[in-house]
Amino acid sequence: MPSSQTPPAGATALDPTAVRPDIADARVMRIVPAELQATLRRLQSDGFSMLLDIGGVDYPGREPRFDVVYHLLKLPQAEATIGEVGQPQRVRVLCGVPEDAPAVPTAVGLWPSADWAEREIFDLFGISFTGHPDMRRIQMPDDWEGHPLRKDYPLRGTARERTPRPSFALKSNVAAGTPASGRTAMALQKQIAQARARFDTHAAADGVAAAQSGANSAGAATTAGEAEPNELAERPVNLKSKDNTL
Amino acid sequence: MSTSVVPETAGGYHVDVVESDNNRMVLSMGPQHPSTHGVLQIVTEIEGEVVTKASPEIGYLHTGIEKSAENLFWSQASTVIERMDYLSPLTNALCYYLAVEKLLGIDAQIPERANQVRVLTSELSRIASHCVWLGTGGIDLGALTAFFYCFDLRERILDLFESAGGARMHPNYIRVGGLAQDLPAGFLEQLDGVIAMYEPRMRDVRRLLQKNPILQDRMIDVGIIAPEEAVAWSLTGPVLRATGIAYDVRKAFPYSGYDRYEFDTPTRTEGDAYARFLVRLDEMDESMRIIRQVRKALAEPGPWQLTDTKFAPPPKETIALSMEALIHHFKLVSESFRVPPGDVYQAVEGPRGELGYYVVSNGDNRPWRVRTRPPSLYNLQVLKKIALGELIADMVVMIGSLDPVFGEVDR
Repeated sequence: MPSSQTPPAGATALDPTAVRPDIADARVMRIVPAELQATLRRLQSDGFSMLLDIGGVDYPGREPRFDVVYHLLKLPQAEATIGEVGQPQRVRVLCGVPEDAPAVPTAVGLWPSADWAEREIFDLFGISFTGHPDMRRIQMPDDWEGHPLRKDYPLRGTARERTPRPSFALKSNVAAGTPASGRTAMALQKQIAQARARFDTHAAADGVAAAQSGANSAGAATTAGEAEPNELAERPVNLKSKDNTL
Repeated sequence: MSTSVVPETAGGYHVDVVESDNNRMVLSMGPQHPSTHGVLQIVTEIEGEVVTKASPEIGYLHTGIEKSAENLFWSQASTVIERMDYLSPLTNALCYYLAVEKLLGIDAQIPERANQVRVLTSELSRIASHCVWLGTGGIDLGALTAFFYCFDLRERILDLFESAGGARMHPNYIRVGGLAQDLPAGFLEQLDGVIAMYEPRMRDVRRLLQKNPILQDRMIDVGIIAPEEAVAWSLTGPVLRATGIAYDVRKAFPYSGYDRYEFDTPTRTEGDAYARFLVRLDEMDESMRIIRQVRKALAEPGPWQLTDTKFAPPPKETIALSMEALIHHFKLVSESFRVPPGDVYQAVEGPRGELGYYVVSNGDNRPWRVRTRPPSLYNLQVLKKIALGELIADMVVMIGSLDPVFGEVDR
């Protein structure tokens, strides 16, 4: 089967909603903030009685930069099955919001459920809704700085980038080949010292054994007897090699 | 009248229990309250025992899942997306992948068996999720026995997920183009066990709860929602259907072949907590009806994943033999696939209502934006409205009857 995936034109699209494939998921309308309330009111009186969701999208580099996306649904009549009144319909209203004036009139007067959704967009995108009764953050703490779902907001947050962190706190912070410092270096030094101490006691014991064997056999005295135990201990210790016992 | 002592406010709301004049009191419930079903804080104003104002405060479980998803490959994003509604993770993953498949233009090519298994896992998730709601909702009212019956049934369903996908809670079993793997040997027999167990178990639970006079006293006429209010507050799922509006995404906008199965949409017209209770119970029976139909169809083996290796990984056994397969596998793991630019809204009927994903792609190998339409968020929001004039003791019943999941409310 040939691949149905068509390679995208260019690396990235600046405005994906303008080049969307033909998908019949909803009727799409594109408006500016000034027309918003009139459009929503007209749609509501046309039978799009339910505001399903309000979402935000950030397209840096595009003019206007933000989209506030309203998903509306035309419901079947109350107490009637879907078969009796026909298929429900969806409509999607994309409202472009410029970066220098990020404000949109509120929809709380039309649908009370817009309350939390608008607060969330204010919180995460920094778009305020004029006329909203309680415009404050909802997900992030009240004293938070910045709006996390904007594309220029770093994934791990701004506070993390400002805070100086010791190099041993996160392994990925340390580039390969960087000499150890601080607490890591101290730990390494301690390990080396312990290894040295172990080696010294072994070497001393070996030296005594060698001296004793040298006294017993004249042939071995020429090799083991000349080497002083302390000289052996001065040799560099390779901690990774198992062959350090000499 | 005691002298009013109003403490400093923190973040715009009172955080302490305050005595005030006119016998009025501000009481903060949660976020560590065991009956709030998660980290929900409700700042209530009460006069005597009657609630005069309730303002739910959310955001205690905000984990930035939508931001994380923008920084993961298309296929990796489902791992964090499954953690939103942690009681029915496969429904989240299904909705997200349906949206991605629409953008890729492969939504009509999904193999039949994959669609059947997707329907099966969705309905099993619904039963498992409603089991948690039923068990914990019973505990809220002092009915402890049903909790164990429900969680036992749920555990059998999670065993099915574990054998199919490898994990109880977040199996990550649904993939773009189909499934991660075929159903394992012995799965259908295990499923038959669950189907056989379901009916006597639910009969027991219904006997314990449905006609229970204490439960009826606590639930009937509590938290009444009128149909026009339900529409104005964007309620979906069982909460909407308990007001008499038969909106069900599976019927209205069928996906994954739901139009081929026979099932009804249970509705009630009372709109109170007891109506929501009955609608959910009937919904579980309808889910089991769908599962029985899927079970019959599943006996026929068939392909469960697209053979297009541009986004579906090649079979494991071919990787060692075929250079092409190895290259495709390497490309998928190292840089994933690209999705043509565009935006799409896709909805499924989750256990809590219409779960929607608005997915935007700019042509890259990562999603540009994944906006969830969380049903719990909107269902919970109506608490501001329905709690007014009710007793503070009934607050717990109302929260339980709305069935919020905070992984999804806060994301």
